[in-house]
Amino acid sequence: MTRGIFTPSRGGWALIRSTWLSWMQYRSFFFILAFGWMIPPLIYLLVWSTAAGEGSISGMTRGAFVAYYLILILVNQITYAQTNWTVGDLIRYGQINKVLLRPIPPLYDALASEFAGKVVYLVFVVPILVILAFVLKPELDLTLLNALAFIPALIFAWALRFFWGYWLALLAFWATRADALLALQDSLVFLLAGQVAPIALLPGALKTLAVILPFRYMVAFPVEVITGQLTRPEMLTGFAIQVGWMVAAVILYALLWRYGLKRYSAVGG
Amino acid sequence: MENTIIRVMELTKTYRVPVRAEGLGASLKSLFKPTYSEVSAVQAISFEIPQGEMVGLIGPNGAGKTTTLKMLAGLLHPTSGQVSVAGYEPWQRQPQYLRRISMVMGNKSQMLWDIPPLDSFRVLGEIYSVPKKEFERNLEELVQLLEMKELLTKPVRNLSLGERMKCELTASLLHRPSVLFLDEPTLGLDVSMQLRLRRFLADYNRSSGTTVILTSHYMADVMALCPRVILIHHGKILHDGELGTLARRLMPFKILRITLKQESMAENELPELPDGVEVLEAESNNLNLRVPRDEAAAITAKLLETLNVADLTIEDPSIEAVIDQVYTDGGQ
Amino acid sequence: MRPFRLIGSFMRASFQEDAAYRTNFFISLFTSLLNLLTGVLGILVLFGQIDSVHGWTLASTLAVLGVYLVVSAVRGLFISPSFDSLSGMDGEIWSGAFDFTILRPVNAQFFASFRKWRLFALLDLVLGVGVLVAAVIQLGVVLSVWQVLFFLFMLVVGMSILYAILLIFAALIFWSPGVLFTWVFDGLFQMARYPANIYPGWLRMVLTWIVPVGVITTFPARALTDSITPVELVVSMLLAAALLVVASILFRVGLRKYASASS
Repeated sequence: MTRGIFTPSRGGWALIRSTWLSWMQYRSFFFILAFGWMIPPLIYLLVWSTAAGEGSISGMTRGAFVAYYLILILVNQITYAQTNWTVGDLIRYGQINKVLLRPIPPLYDALASEFAGKVVYLVFVVPILVILAFVLKPELDLTLLNALAFIPALIFAWALRFFWGYWLALLAFWATRADALLALQDSLVFLLAGQVAPIALLPGALKTLAVILPFRYMVAFPVEVITGQLTRPEMLTGFAIQVGWMVAAVILYALLWRYGLKRYSAVGG
Repeated sequence: MENTIIRVMELTKTYRVPVRAEGLGASLKSLFKPTYSEVSAVQAISFEIPQGEMVGLIGPNGAGKTTTLKMLAGLLHPTSGQVSVAGYEPWQRQPQYLRRISMVMGNKSQMLWDIPPLDSFRVLGEIYSVPKKEFERNLEELVQLLEMKELLTKPVRNLSLGERMKCELTASLLHRPSVLFLDEPTLGLDVSMQLRLRRFLADYNRSSGTTVILTSHYMADVMALCPRVILIHHGKILHDGELGTLARRLMPFKILRITLKQESMAENELPELPDGVEVLEAESNNLNLRVPRDEAAAITAKLLETLNVADLTIEDPSIEAVIDQVYTDGGQ
Repeated sequence: MRPFRLIGSFMRASFQEDAAYRTNFFISLFTSLLNLLTGVLGILVLFGQIDSVHGWTLASTLAVLGVYLVVSAVRGLFISPSFDSLSGMDGEIWSGAFDFTILRPVNAQFFASFRKWRLFALLDLVLGVGVLVAAVIQLGVVLSVWQVLFFLFMLVVGMSILYAILLIFAALIFWSPGVLFTWVFDGLFQMARYPANIYPGWLRMVLTWIVPVGVITTFPARALTDSITPVELVVSMLLAAALLVVASILFRVGLRKYASASS
């Protein structure tokens, strides 16, 4: 596994293409999944916008809540790494052998389903968000700087969430059921990544926890960037913490792959 | 028959199969206006089975065996015709009826995967309301017959295929059914396990008087266990009776195997043979011939006279060959 | 009583199955606590900012969450595990192992509804009751025996509605195996964490009368504060009865369809 895992190869692209084509066959299934993922933030959108009513809560008006949550739904969909669940299953049922026998790095399998999945989900989610935007009338002051900063924040958020989940899933090499950990991570993201409430509204200690832990940087941070909730220094600190956690996740991923495979081949699955 | 337990009259089953064309447009259309074609799986079959008999239901894949078996058990609703098993109409699935039958399917399991068989058995005991004493007695008897005492406390997922089939059989006999339906019970098992299960089934049938209906693709199962076979093909009964009679009726031939003395056979040249003899195989000094059953004796005498024979045997065609002929050309 | 003995033996076997995966226990425990925390914190954060939304205060909203947790726990205790073993790619209807289920001398709907139990859900039940108690204390009312009984009655009505809806989905699997009706419903059911009145008007109507998840949690919580009108009481009882009848007919038709189509 020491080959350059980030060098694209023809085999890799072919894999992505074929995965995407086969996923489109089952699009209704994935549309339903995407629907399920949209609901929880949608609930909080409705709750908070109702609560704000005609006034505002901590400086956020009804329209601001709508904008915040609609963008959050989009970001959540883009960064949610459903592949991580599959990785754990592959290891548990010994199907990882099939992946290991291919002449391309195993990371491509995960990336292939990531890209394929993203396209399928977005085909479903984007039109719905557009309709919701017309009905719920979001208010957003978009500056060029915020819009530009949003792009790296989103990409880092995806990478962080992907590799963070991946290393958790790789624990399946040691524990039989790593999926409980993934469920736990989903709950933490739900609480600390701005879904239950925008981070700014959380009570003191919880807010500090959210800022320190990696979960905010998987979903909420890009949303805060584009909706202009952050001052310049807050934004820069945010990027620093985000990149730090991302690097940590990649290192953990690489280490666990290495030792996990060693253990796997020693035990013989 | 006086003690008939299963009576089947003009039993027919026709499936409606949705026809789907390829492409998105066609599948959308079929959503609103589905088109069906009719496939008849079983066509007006009739037979009777007396209490305690062991009957083999044979036929090629898709012949209608499993469909027939499922209608007898009450899993399928017949399109027309009548079935009576132990005095009940199976498809009504009355609890009293279901307590008198049992079914084992070679490709499906009724055991709970993660816990030892004994615990699955106890649940089944409750489901069939078997009194506690009787349950223990039946279990002990079956465990002894199947030699599976050490399996009782291991999780099912750790058992081999053969061991699992022992559990399936125990599970289905705990409530002492009067009729046992076996659908491919020896599927995928090794030869010695097949033999042991066969012995068990024969013993159990004899001692308990349970009526057994068996489908299998292994002719050895059927030959060893079933004095009577019902051969189904294209949904119709082609034969109902002994397996031997079937062979004689469908294959009025004998196979002659002749070994000639080395020097007598010219290179690549067959000796002259009497009329009615068909050469199946001819290799160096060995000959395999097919001769009409009635003329077998005469032809053999003639061959012994004309050829320089070292060894000669007369055989019936193998049951597999008979069945193959039936399956490929419908026994014509 | 035979049904109870049967349920007892199903429970025993299921507990043994669960115990095979003991290692998951602590993580499941932690996830349960975290889910509870998320729910409660969501409400606390909201009412930290404002006093009431459409007449719902911290205490009464907490009561709705409590009912939601209790109902979800009961669902997770046996309804979902039992129905899940029917549906899905490795479910019985898909694999054909359902043949064994309908050959048992037990009512098929009873068997399909009660045979799998999940021990961990008892923990969720305790947590849910805890939230309910906290909500009642927060409400500052003293409940009479009759009020408690009335609340329990509304809870049973709500759970019957939930059970009937899930049975309908389970029955639909006879027509199209593998489709995730339940997943869609789960999304909507999550909305029942909050009082139906908190949502915009059109959604409130949908949640009360079209997909009646609002009735399942909001009505019992309102029973605690005596704000159920007699009309609502009668209508919700009729709704539960009608759904139960429809669901059980649909299940029976599904069984017949299974018996005429499988091969």
